[in-house]
Amino acid sequence: MSEALNRRGFLCLASGLAVAAVSGCGSADSPAAAPKSGGRLRAVFAGGGAKEVLDPHLQSLFVDIARHKALYEKLVELGPDLKPVPRLAAKWEPDAQATTWRFTLRDATFHDGKPLTSQDVLYSLARIADPNAPERVAQSSLAALDLRRCKAIDKRTVELTLAAPNAEFPALLAGIGTQIVRDGFKNPSEPNGTGAFRFTSFEAGRSMVATRFEDYWDGPAKIEELQILSADAEARANAVQGGQAEYANEMTATFARTAEAGRTVKIVAAKGSTTQAFVMKVDRPPFDNPDVRLAFKLLADRQRLVDVVLAGRGAVGNDLFGKGFQYYPADLPQRERDVDQAKALLKKAGLIGKEVEIFTSDASAGFVEAATLFAEQVAEAGVKLKVTTGSAQTYAKDLLTKGVIGSHRSGAMPIPQYITDRLLTKSPFNVTHWRRAAFDAAFAAAQVQTDEAARAAKYAVLQKTLRDDGGILAWGHPDFLVAISSRVQGVQAVPPNTLDSGRFDKVWLA
Amino acid sequence: MIASWRARTPLAVSVVLVLIPLLVAVFGPFVPLEAKPGLPYESGVRLGTDGLGRDVVQLLLVGGRTALGMAVGAVAIAYLVGGTIGLVAASTRHRWVDEVLIRPLDVLLPLPSLLVISVVAVGWRASPPAITLTVAMVNVPTVARLVRAAALDAASGPVVEALRMQRESWVAIQVGYVGRSVLGPVAADLGTRITLAVFLVASVNFLGLGLSPTAPDWAVSVSRNREGVLLQPWAVVAPALMLVAFTLGFNLLADRLVHRSRRTATEVVDR
Amino acid sequence: MRSYAAQRAALAVIQLAVLSILVFLLTALLPGDAADMRFTETLTPDQVARLRSQLGLDEPAIERFTHWFGNVLTGDLGTSLISGGSVADIVKASVGATLVLTLATLAVVVPLAVVLGLVMGTRENGRLDRVITSITLALSAIPDFVIAVVLITLFSLKLGWLPATWVGGDLPANPALLVLPVAVLLGRTVCLLSRQVRAGTINALNAEYVVQARRLGVPRRQLLLRHVLPNAAVPGVQELARTGDTLLGGVLVVEAIFAIPGFATALVDGVETRDVPVVQGLTLVLAVAALLINLAADLVCNRLVPRTELLR
Repeated sequence: MSEALNRRGFLCLASGLAVAAVSGCGSADSPAAAPKSGGRLRAVFAGGGAKEVLDPHLQSLFVDIARHKALYEKLVELGPDLKPVPRLAAKWEPDAQATTWRFTLRDATFHDGKPLTSQDVLYSLARIADPNAPERVAQSSLAALDLRRCKAIDKRTVELTLAAPNAEFPALLAGIGTQIVRDGFKNPSEPNGTGAFRFTSFEAGRSMVATRFEDYWDGPAKIEELQILSADAEARANAVQGGQAEYANEMTATFARTAEAGRTVKIVAAKGSTTQAFVMKVDRPPFDNPDVRLAFKLLADRQRLVDVVLAGRGAVGNDLFGKGFQYYPADLPQRERDVDQAKALLKKAGLIGKEVEIFTSDASAGFVEAATLFAEQVAEAGVKLKVTTGSAQTYAKDLLTKGVIGSHRSGAMPIPQYITDRLLTKSPFNVTHWRRAAFDAAFAAAQVQTDEAARAAKYAVLQKTLRDDGGILAWGHPDFLVAISSRVQGVQAVPPNTLDSGRFDKVWLA
Repeated sequence: MIASWRARTPLAVSVVLVLIPLLVAVFGPFVPLEAKPGLPYESGVRLGTDGLGRDVVQLLLVGGRTALGMAVGAVAIAYLVGGTIGLVAASTRHRWVDEVLIRPLDVLLPLPSLLVISVVAVGWRASPPAITLTVAMVNVPTVARLVRAAALDAASGPVVEALRMQRESWVAIQVGYVGRSVLGPVAADLGTRITLAVFLVASVNFLGLGLSPTAPDWAVSVSRNREGVLLQPWAVVAPALMLVAFTLGFNLLADRLVHRSRRTATEVVDR
Repeated sequence: MRSYAAQRAALAVIQLAVLSILVFLLTALLPGDAADMRFTETLTPDQVARLRSQLGLDEPAIERFTHWFGNVLTGDLGTSLISGGSVADIVKASVGATLVLTLATLAVVVPLAVVLGLVMGTRENGRLDRVITSITLALSAIPDFVIAVVLITLFSLKLGWLPATWVGGDLPANPALLVLPVAVLLGRTVCLLSRQVRAGTINALNAEYVVQARRLGVPRRQLLLRHVLPNAAVPGVQELARTGDTLLGGVLVVEAIFAIPGFATALVDGVETRDVPVVQGLTLVLAVAALLINLAADLVCNRLVPRTELLR
């Protein structure tokens, strides 16, 4: 599973800007306390065993991303609302067609003392695209890049050209596996990046140790040493509670409840994060009938799902991905439960008394629980939803082809990227089999709009279509929970896959 | 002497310990119980709720079937297959039959049961028959060897010799005498083997390799609810108590049987 | 003796060969392969297909097996399909923690079981015997994971005395990490072993030569240590070798609960990621270890009580 993309999502509050909410016991960051320097911070993330990698272009797990964020950086990062923000590129400028982009680089230094140049950027992009290394994750998202026409204008300016216009290009450069490495970088086990920490040691599935990089362009980190550790949910909870770690990523709602009764651990919650959904295949009976899709959407008791499966730590969904993100149509009315209308629709479709199988697995926390609960809710309309559990490891692949309705979750990513990956005719992860030529064309038309407001308006129309007619029944957006020891200060409550998540150069130990 | 103090821990205690979980497992699913779904880890009514807001008592009633059924079923199958192999191997007059039956099992013995079970559990997730069969297969080699050894002991003894001299038929000797004398060690082994099978099945489920994480199974409940153990202990304690009562009761019963069979064994030797 | 050893070695070789085939078949039966496992929603199906041919997973199973088997004969365990690292290194890295855990457990279990067994055996049916027997009997009936949950809740979550996980801990610097895992593994093994030692002691005490020695006025202490203990230890050692498999099951539970990066974890990980070479390598090492332990147990028993019949 790509935990990184798959498990996260996030809800932005009305302002769409600051979304931090520090809850829990003990004093939150008191503004008076001046940041202190020094010390060792141990951060625990969900582990991936032997799957964990040091190569920044192969990452797919959260722990990989955190590790690479400490050592390397990208040209562009994502802000708390998943909108691109400058990082190694101080600014960028597209041409009128959004085909050729000029990026101006910052005055950054690699760990080996060499300055960042345009050549490093071009080398990194070429390394990602290397056809002999199919597992480089950003390969498909950056396929639009026409490498032969990309060039260095000067030492600190690089011009990137696309095969087809795309106004969302900066967001693609902020995707996972897009780190900038040093020109000629060959050996991933000897990392050389521009990040705030310099590599010391790495053991897959266990730990990485890194120390502060004094020449970091954004000001040296406060902490002296950073350890990124891997562990499952229970061990993360035990470690942070027992003082064996100062930061634990991705905690359960139950843990948060337990921790808030104690004194040693604080919970940092990014409100409404991952998107949790059931996905219906729109080309297979009974869900090829739009009435049935709508009926199922009307049958979901979203609040109850949130209260039970997410233990109340989340927001109800409105059948759309990315609540609170840039381009999210917040003005669409919230879908409410309506069993009577659903019954009428199901009766018209002749589905009352019939059995439908829902395909799920233990691939992700809450999947089976949600499916079991949803089955009870659907039963109220006289349709039997039979829960079938598949193999957790092959679930992501199986869901593409198997069953008619299944469990799905997706992490934080820009909304246009979600659509590109999952809702176009040629999308590789189109789990709802939503293939509409008109939709594809409208999306392509929106993507070439250089004016942000015009683009947003077009996206809004597309998302309304999805909400009303699509196969995604997004019922909830769980909070993203991080546990920190009470000594840790400066941790931001932001969704994963954004600049400030799992970032330790601004954190200090009181 | 042994009998005297053993008699003081009344048989009734072990029987009750076994019977409570057993009865719950067998008849629990038929108990009509009104349980409104609640919120996760609520205490209050009866034993409160689990991590999914389900009533703990209701889960307890339906969760024994897999927890005990899979283990008992596995041991039954193991004895059916392994016992037959062992008896045939011990009673055959042809050495090659014995070799053909027992040698392959010797080869299988070092196969770590953990590996076999985790492979099956991962591959056929959430399928109770598959896990039951695997736990059974893992036990077959040991059961076969045990039965064979016990049967050989009996078959090579003076009684069989005497019966043979009296021209009793082969079948009569095997079924009438050898089969009967195997029963003692088998009964003693059965107790520990069922306990071990319960452990094995429960461990697989506890590790999340077996049944679905929402299954009401006792071991799954212990595993899934332990993160909420400080919020609502009963969701963990109640199913754990059921499992322990069963294995403890069975251990006590097995202990009794071991001593009885050992005593008869001594008597035979004495004679 | 020599023919016995030769027979034994031949059997071991056959066992290992059959085992490798079985393990290969078992893992081959699993749904999906290592390339599928890499199918995260970040790699497209097309990328996965290219990866599969790069890993050689599109070759027929027989070809892959003979290739692997040939390499093993030359002492090469192959490379992991997931990390690309050498399997030998993965085995080495995972064995350490398990070995420390097992040795620490045995270091506590063996003396404790011997002492308890002797105490019980020499006071057969005395009050102390009854008390210890009842306690061990009860303890051995509690599943490992229940003991673990209880101990962690009590000593880590409630009292905060002992660490409940190895994550973030450093073993040589913090030996307290071993306390709870060993305590969990301890329970069942001590019970099983001490009961065997008790039975052995009782048998030995009633044996002809001990009765004779007692009649000749051999001091009690010398009698126990020289004559009774070695005989009593035999069933214990055999039991120890036999419970290896059960112990491994316990180790898996303990490794999972305390997040110990050991052998059992690596094995289950390997199965879950369909990393066939790693699973093969780990099983092979495990099987060799099991065979050696059994052999060692036989030899130790023979040394303790020189009787050829034990070797049967």
